[in-house]
Amino acid sequence: MTTVLVLVAFVAAYVLIATERIHRVAAALGGAAAMVVLGVANAQVVFFSEETGVDWNVIFLLLGMMVIVGVLRRTGVFEYAAIWSAKRAAGRPFAVLVMLVVITAVASALLDNVTTVLLIAPVSLLVCEQIGAPPVPFLIAEVMASNIGGTATLIGDPPNIIIASRSGLSFNDFALNLAPIVVILICVLIVLCRLMFRSAFTFHPERVEALMSLDEREAIRDIPLLVRSGIVLAGVLVGFVARPVLDVEPSLVALLGAGALVAISRMDAEDYLADVEWSTLVFFMGLFVMVGALVEVGVIGRLAESATSAVADHYFLGSTVLLLASGVLSGVVDNIPYVATMSPLVADLVHAGGGSPGAAAAWWALALGADLGGNATAVGASANVVVLGIAARNGHPITFWGFTKYGLVVAAVTIPVAWVYLALRYYAFT
Amino acid sequence: MRAGDLAEPFPTVSLSTDGLTAARLIGEARLPGLIVCEDDGSPHTVLGGSQVLRFMIPQYVQDDPTLARVYDDAAAEELLGRLSTKSVRELLPRRQDRDDLPVVDRDATTVEIAAVMAQLHSPVVGVLDHGRVIGAVTVSRLFEHLFPDLPLTGEGHSS
Repeated sequence: MTTVLVLVAFVAAYVLIATERIHRVAAALGGAAAMVVLGVANAQVVFFSEETGVDWNVIFLLLGMMVIVGVLRRTGVFEYAAIWSAKRAAGRPFAVLVMLVVITAVASALLDNVTTVLLIAPVSLLVCEQIGAPPVPFLIAEVMASNIGGTATLIGDPPNIIIASRSGLSFNDFALNLAPIVVILICVLIVLCRLMFRSAFTFHPERVEALMSLDEREAIRDIPLLVRSGIVLAGVLVGFVARPVLDVEPSLVALLGAGALVAISRMDAEDYLADVEWSTLVFFMGLFVMVGALVEVGVIGRLAESATSAVADHYFLGSTVLLLASGVLSGVVDNIPYVATMSPLVADLVHAGGGSPGAAAAWWALALGADLGGNATAVGASANVVVLGIAARNGHPITFWGFTKYGLVVAAVTIPVAWVYLALRYYAFT
Repeated sequence: MRAGDLAEPFPTVSLSTDGLTAARLIGEARLPGLIVCEDDGSPHTVLGGSQVLRFMIPQYVQDDPTLARVYDDAAAEELLGRLSTKSVRELLPRRQDRDDLPVVDRDATTVEIAAVMAQLHSPVVGVLDHGRVIGAVTVSRLFEHLFPDLPLTGEGHSS
C-alpha cells in the first residue's frame, strides 16, 4: 500500500512540475514532504544516505560553480570576447553567428546554460543592431549552442552533474566521451543555421563602421580581477581533470575555487551570492528525496529488473531506446527531474551489465538524449525560456512555435547524429 | 500653503509630441519631467526624465550595464536619434492606471502633494483647477517650501 501511495505522490508532484501549475520548487518540496509523511524518508535517510538522500555533492558543486560565475561575470570578459569576435568577422552576419555560436558552446561547457545565455544574449543584441541583422536567429542559435555545448563536460549542464554523481564517472570521462560528439554537433548546428536562417544573413557594408566603433576593451572593468579569476578558474579545471591523482571530489574543488575567488575579489557577500540560484538548489533537494523514496520502496529496483531482462545483452538496443526516449521526453518535461529519476535505473542497468563499455554507454545515451532533447521545444530547457524572455523584453518576441519549428529540426538532426556516434564508438567494433 | 500657491508654470506636451522634442524640453529647462496632456488639455500623466532615458538606452544595455562602456560618442548620438522616431505615447509605460495620475487639486496641502510624489515615485505633480492643468509642483520646489530657513551644514554645502 505504501508503495502505491509513494508512486501516486511522486507522479502527482512530477505532473505539477511538468505542467508548471505551481512553482516547481513548491511541487518538489511538496513531493518530498509527502515521502516524509508516508514514512519512507526520515532525517537519517534525507540527510545522510548516499543512495536515497539529498546528493550533497551535486548541491555543493552547483553552489560552488554559481559563486564562481557570480565573480567571473563581473569581469566583462564575455562581452569582450563577443564584440572582439564579431569585429574579427568584419560584420558579416553569418560569420558573426558562427563566432557567437562557438563562444556560447565553449562558455556553456564551463558554465551552466542559463548563465551562459544571460551573458551572451545582451551583447548579441548589441552586435545585431550594429550590423543591421535580425537578432532572433542569433538568439535561437545561441541557446541551442548552449544546450549542445553544455553536454560536453561534467559541469556544463545540471543533468550531467547528477549523472556524474550517480555513476561515479569523472570530469575526464565526460570530456573524453562527450566532447568529441559535441564538437561534431556544433558543426552540424552551424550548417543547420545557415539553411534555416539564410534570409537573416544579408550583409550591410555601411553598418560595419558602427560595429568597428565599439571598443571591447572598455568592457573589461577590472583587469587584475580578470587575471586572478582566470588563474582560479584554470586551477578549478585542473582540479577536475586531476581528480584521479588528487582524489578530491568535484564539489570540493568547486567550493575551494569559489572560496579562493571570493577571497581575492574582496566582493561583498551579497554580491557574490546574488548569482546563487537558491530556488534551483532547493528544487534539487526536493527531487532527490522524491526519487530516493522510489528507490526505498523498490519501484526503481523493479523497473530496473524489468529493463535489464528486456535489454538482456542487447545494450545497443537499450542505449538506442534510452537516447530516443530521453530526447523526446526532455523536449516536453524538465530534463533535471527526468535525469534524477532515470539515474538510479540506469545505474542498475549498467551494474547488471558488469560495467562493460557497451553497458556503460547507457550513461552517455542518457546524457545526450536529455541534453539534446532540450532544444526541441521552447520549454524544453530553462535556457530556452530565459532567451524567449530576453527577446520579448527587447522588442523581438519569439512565439512558442517560432522557436519550436527550428528546435524540432535541430533535435531531429542532432539526436540521430549522436546515435550514429554511440553506435560507431561503443558497439560497431566490439 | 496650498498646491495652487506653490504651482509654477510648467511645460506640457501632448501624446503625439515626438520624443526628441520632449527630451530637449526637459534638458533646456532642467526639469525632472513633463506633464503629458490629452488633446482637450486634461492631464494624461507625467513623463519622467528617467522614462525617456529608459527608452533611449536599449533594454539589453540596461540588462548588462557593462555594454554601456563600449559605445563611443558617435554611437551614443545614434542612440539619441532613437527618440526622434518615437512619440511621447510610445515612451510611456503601456499600462496606464487613471487612478495613478500624479496630479492634485489646487487646494491640496503640502503633505498631500508629498504623499502623491512618494506613492507614485514622481518628481513632479501637476496641479489642476476644474480638471485643467494650471501648473506643477516639483520636488525641489516642495522642499524649498518645507525647509526654507534650515542652514546648510557639513557636506551638504555647495560652493
